[in-house]
This record gives sequence, structure tokens and C-alpha cells, in this order.
Amino acid sequence: MRNLRFTLAGLVTLATIGTVSLSTSVSANAATPSLTSCKTSIGSSEYTKGKLTVATDNPAYTPWFVSNTPSNGKGYESAVAYGIAKELGVKKSNVVWVHEPFNSSFAPGPKRFDFDINEISYTSARAQAVTFSNSYYDVQQSIIALKGSKIVKDHTPAELKTYQYGDQIGTTGLLFIDQHINPTKSTRVYNSLADAASALETKQIDAIVLDTPDGQYMASSGSGEVVNSKGKNIAVQVGQFPSVGEHYGLLFHKGNQLAGCVNAAIAAMKSSGSLAALQTKWLSIYTSVPVIEP
Amino acid sequence: MVNETDARLSEETPSFFAPRRKQLLLGRRAIVASTFSTVLIIGGLFAVFLLAPGGATVRHFFFNPHDMWQSFVGDHRDALSSVGLGLLTNIWVFLVAEVFVLTFGLAIAWTRMTKSPVLMPFRILAIIYSDIFRGIPVLLVFLLIGFGVPALQITFISNQSLAVYGCVSLILTYSAYVAEVFRAGIYSVPHGQLLAARSLGLTNATTMRRVILPQAVRTVVPPLLNDFISLQKDTALLSILGVIEAVQAGTIYQDLRFNSSGLVVASLLFLAMTIPLTRFTDNLIARDRNRRLASS
Amino acid sequence: MNEVILELDSVVKRFGDNEVLRGISLNLHRHEVVCLIGASGSGKSTLLRCVNLLETIDGGTITLFGQSLTDVRIDPDKVRRHTGMVFQSFNLFPHLTVLENVLVGPVRALKRKRSDVHDEAMQLLDRIGLRERSDEYPDRLSGGQQQRVAIVRSLAMRPALLLLDEVTSALDPSLVGEVLDLLRDLAHTGTTMLIATHEMNFARDVAQQVVYLDGGVLVEKGTPEEIFSNPQHESTRLFLERVR
Repeated sequence: MRNLRFTLAGLVTLATIGTVSLSTSVSANAATPSLTSCKTSIGSSEYTKGKLTVATDNPAYTPWFVSNTPSNGKGYESAVAYGIAKELGVKKSNVVWVHEPFNSSFAPGPKRFDFDINEISYTSARAQAVTFSNSYYDVQQSIIALKGSKIVKDHTPAELKTYQYGDQIGTTGLLFIDQHINPTKSTRVYNSLADAASALETKQIDAIVLDTPDGQYMASSGSGEVVNSKGKNIAVQVGQFPSVGEHYGLLFHKGNQLAGCVNAAIAAMKSSGSLAALQTKWLSIYTSVPVIEP
Repeated sequence: MVNETDARLSEETPSFFAPRRKQLLLGRRAIVASTFSTVLIIGGLFAVFLLAPGGATVRHFFFNPHDMWQSFVGDHRDALSSVGLGLLTNIWVFLVAEVFVLTFGLAIAWTRMTKSPVLMPFRILAIIYSDIFRGIPVLLVFLLIGFGVPALQITFISNQSLAVYGCVSLILTYSAYVAEVFRAGIYSVPHGQLLAARSLGLTNATTMRRVILPQAVRTVVPPLLNDFISLQKDTALLSILGVIEAVQAGTIYQDLRFNSSGLVVASLLFLAMTIPLTRFTDNLIARDRNRRLASS
Repeated sequence: MNEVILELDSVVKRFGDNEVLRGISLNLHRHEVVCLIGASGSGKSTLLRCVNLLETIDGGTITLFGQSLTDVRIDPDKVRRHTGMVFQSFNLFPHLTVLENVLVGPVRALKRKRSDVHDEAMQLLDRIGLRERSDEYPDRLSGGQQQRVAIVRSLAMRPALLLLDEVTSALDPSLVGEVLDLLRDLAHTGTTMLIATHEMNFARDVAQQVVYLDGGVLVEKGTPEEIFSNPQHESTRLFLERVR
């Protein structure tokens, strides 16, 4: 999920993720019907008959979308949406995109879309307000540190506990530190990711934990969030932790029957390998980050 | 010429009783009537809230006691910030801003009212300042200051916390408003007071301090307090800079739990903060009005 | 006759195109009382304000104690400390008590010690019978009382010259007497005064010199006897007939 916020270093998509039931990844979903029956029944449950209405926020960010144009089929989430449509027998021309700000996507009342695809993390608390699909992307947390610092080399589970961590409040990264790394020094909490980044820059903390795509951005030369006196990037992504069940789900109006058919489509994409192929195609820079154990 | 019948006075005995329907609104009956109408209207609104098709959903989404409490206290282990603690940020920003706004507002008003030719450029600056900051929406001032000033990379000035930039934005905006309040207050003092003071040989500054300002204060206080109420509420704009104040804490709670009760909690806390001031201001206005009525 | 302390020579004052004083020349000696008479708008008040530098003049000269007031080196505040001014509408400071009103000039303008001035102020209030009311605020006093306090406020500055601008015009007829009595009292004790007034009987009683203004022009001046019993100009005669 995300909550778009401006940071000082630039307009960065922050994954501000909450109470993820990290250990249990069971989503509440309707009984999964067969794809064949879905192809015939889908028309009756669509928001606009004969069209599959898909929502996302504006702007929509890379690599989830490309050029802020969801309808071009480029970017992971755009491709997943069209993949699901294809499984359900909906023609590409019948997929309609609408803009839905994150903050209103879960507001009570009728929805203006069939589902919203917007990097929204599944949590049990959230699932009381809306219906989620099964996972279409498993989120992993990663460690960002200064180049050449001790943690870059020494990060066995025991060694990880000895460092000073810092993170932005309200993020799954912060939760991950407290629930999975259990460091001996208490974590420093900052109001914004930019504040955490400057704390790292000035060596007040040894590392930040944040999800892999955002970590990748922070460690990239263009981010400018953690720099030396010459403005050169000095952050590095040490590695990413294995998935602990945090995942993105499609957001439906609470109780929407269409969720069952979409789950069937996702399952089909998983078993055919097409979902994995889309991840390789659009998210390979993230999946290539080495995995370390907490 | 006046017609004779027109000019003749009536010889009927007039009756002064109100028609029956209007009698309900007179004397002690008025209390009954007002109680009845109050109960009816509040009850009606409450019924709409209870019986609306989405009423239950709205009650859960905005007024769930469990979520309200959770968002109020926050939970570090769950990465939730506390709306109650967030309000402390609103309060300090408000208090600091208030002091600066009073000082700057008075200084700007003073500058605009000086006549000395030496101060000409300052007068022009003061006018430009007032025009600009009364003209730009506060929200934009927040964005321009909050994201613009740090980008300048000036030592000290660009290294402050976002709450400081928010506070500065409020000071810049409200100083312009308050300067106008002061100016109006000073102009409300009769010109004769100025003449009398100057004819005693009091200097311009002494006249201002001993004669004009003490009288201006009385007219200035109610609109000033209104501006402060507004200032208190506008501290909520800190949230758009990402500062974790009450509203932002409520928004984080909402984004994490898909439940907006935290925003209702923030609203209630803002009410608790502003209502004493609004009541006080209204009382002050009523008292001043009574005094004016009594003295004339 | 005593020395001349105020000398007006061909004084001109304009408000835009409107010439309100058209070459007024006039002398005032120490201990002398001069009354300015004339219809409303004849320029009496403006003349007084010019002397007190509340207005700047556009032509001619005003000389006070031998110093030209048009000299750029003149500090208006110092001039005003020696020329008391009383207004038609009293202009007491409503946020100060009666006593504070009297003290504010000596304490704030002359920088005299409050304790030194206090007794003097109380004596002045005693003189107008308001000693007991020194701690009250002006809005508790009648118009006549307020105007008397305003006169005393000016006196507390120990001015060399008192300028009075139609000080009874805003008063209830029944309250005019008490104020005029105070002025008579002041005249008898030798206070130098330049008085703009509509009270002809009063002018006849106290003035050594009466000046008739009409449309910004000094039409005629002379002793009360000369002006009131034997006016030389037609317009003076018509004015006096109208006000009588």
C-alpha cells in the first residue's frame, strides 16, 4: 500500500504500511469459483456492464506504471490488471481506467470501480473495511546503510541485532525492525523518511529498513537523499529480507463478489507462470537484490 | 388639504393581545417553545444520523470508540502515532506563532502608518507584504515555504524541521491579517484624541503608546481573538508538510486501519482547544457592546 | 502694555483650492485675552490650530516669543508644550482617570516626576471643584465637568498661552455657565488666552481685544466696546445682529 507524501529529497513514493499481520498471510476471500463460470457471470457483477473498471491513484509511479498512463499496459500493476482481464475473458478495449486517490479508495459508501490496484498492503484491520484479493506481489523489506559501513559486511542475524536503527513512523519497515530484527538499541523514530535519511547521512543511525523498491530508490545515485558533502550518493542497499507475508492486494468494495473471480484469475496467472514473468519483466531490479536473514 | 374624516382620531378601544399562535412565543411559554424546538431539531438531526442507509457504516468508520481510543493514544509497536501527542505539536506551533504574529503585526501596522520620508521604502515593503500574504492561500504559503526554503540550502535557515517551516508560514500569513486588524483598531480611535495628545506636546511615539494604542486595544481584541482561533485551526495544515501533528496522526491511523475515527478525535481535540477561546471572545464582544450601550 | 508674545503676519492657509485664512495679521500680548468671533467656517479654529502647529501655514509668518514657527529647526512638540489647546469636543482620554488626564502632559511630555506634579494637579482639580472625582473616568462626568477638566489638563502644562476653540459650543446650555466662569477666573488671574467663541457677552466681558473674521479675512479688530457698540463694517454689524 502507499500513502503518497512529499519528501524533501524529491517526490518519492513512500510505502507507509501499517499493522500487517506479518506472520499470517491469510486473506479473507470468498470461495474461489472456476474461471469458466466467471467468464459468463462476470457481466452481472461489473460496475459498468461489459466493462472492467480499474482504479489507481494519479500520479501512478514507475515501475508499477509507466509514464503515468495506466492504459498503456506497461509497468507491473498495469500489466497485472490486463492479465487478470485476459484470464476473465475481458477484451483489452473493455478495460476502463479511473483515478482514485488512495485516501478515498477505502472510504465507506459505494465505489466507482471494480477494483483498485495501487500497491495497497493487505492487513486484517483494513480487511474489515474493504475486501482484498489474494496477493499479486509479495513485499520484502530491505536494509539501507552507508557505503563502507560495518553492516554492509557484517549482517548475520546475531550481528543485525547490534546496530542502531531508525525509521519513519507508520511504516512496515519500522514494524519489521521491532518484530523481526529485535535490536538491542531501541529504534529511533522519525516523522518523515527524509528525516531518517538525514539521520543516516550524519551517522546518528546505522541503518534504515524500508521496502525493497523504495530502498532501491534511496540507494540510487539520482535520489539525493543520503549524500556526502559533494552531493554524491553514499547509501547502499545491503540486502532484502525474505517475505514475511506482507503483500499487495487488489481493493474491492466490501463483499464484492467479483473478488472471487479475480482471485481465480490471479491463481491461474500464478500457476501458468505469467505473474512471475511480469515480475521479471517489470520488477527485475528489485528481485535481484540479495536476500539476508533477519 | 386634509380630509376631515382622515384627520379624526379613532374612538375604538384597541386590543393589545397577540393572536393565539403568536401567544405561544410570549412570556413563560417561550421557554417551553424553545425547549420543544431544540429537542425537535437536535433529535431530528440525530435520527437522520441513526437511520440513514449508510448510518451504521459511517458510525463505524468515523465514531468507532475502539478506533477513537487507539488513535488517540497511538501504539509504537504497531507503528501508529498518537493523535493526542500530535496535538502537542499544534499547540506549540500555535503558541510560538501567536507571539510572533502579534509582534510583527504591530510592527507592520506601525510601519504602514508612519509619515516620515526616511521610512518610505519600508512603507512600500509593508504594503507589498500585506498584499502578498493576504492574497496567497495559506496552503500555498505552506508548500512554498516548506519545500522551497530547505531547497535553498542556506546554513541554519534551510536546516530547520518541517514544523518550523509550517510555523513560519503561519506567522507570515497571519501577521499580514493582524497588521490590518491593528491598523483598523488604531484608525477607530477618534482623531480628536490624537490632536489632544499632540497639543499637549506628547511626541508621536508617546502619543501612540499612551493614548492611541490603549484605546485601540479595546476594539482590536475581539477580531484579534477571532484571528487566533483561525490560527489554531490552521495549524492542521502542518499535516501537508508531513509533520505528525493531530491531523496527520489521524490520517496515518486512517491509512493504516482504513478507519477515520482518528480524524474525529482530532476534530474533538481542536474543538476542546478552540471553544474556550470562542466563548471568551463572544463574551468579550457582548460585554463591550453592553458597555457602549450603557455609556451612550 | 506687556510685551508681544504672539505675532501673526499675513498668515495664509489653504486646504486644496480652498483658502481658509487670507492674510491674517494679529498680535497678542502677555496677560492679554483676545476673542475671535465670526460665523462657523470663518477660519477661527484653523487660526488656533496653526498657532499650535497642528496645521502648517502656506504663507506669512507666525512668531512666538520672537521665534518664527516656520523655521525648519523648530520642534513642534516644544511649541505645543508652551501653548495649551482646548477643543470644542473636550477630547479627554477615556482610558485614563481624571487625575491621569491631568498628569499625562507634565509626566510624559515634560518628564516631570509624578509625585511632584500630583499635588499641583489636585490643586487644579480642587479649583474646579472636582478633587473628589479625581479617580473617576471621564465618561462619568457631565459635559461641563469634562470641559473644565480639559482646561485644567492644559493648565497643568503651565503654558505661556492658552488656545481655546469654541469650548462651550458642544455643551448643554445649562452647563455653559460653569465653563465660562472658569475662563473668567483665568482671565482675571492674568492667563494669556486666544479664544474662538460664539458667546458674545462673554467676549465683551473678558476680552481686551475682539477680532471679527469673515471667510478667512480679518474684517475688523478693536476693543469690545468698539466692536460691539460701534462696528465699522457692514458685515460685522450683520453678524452681530444675527447672533444677538
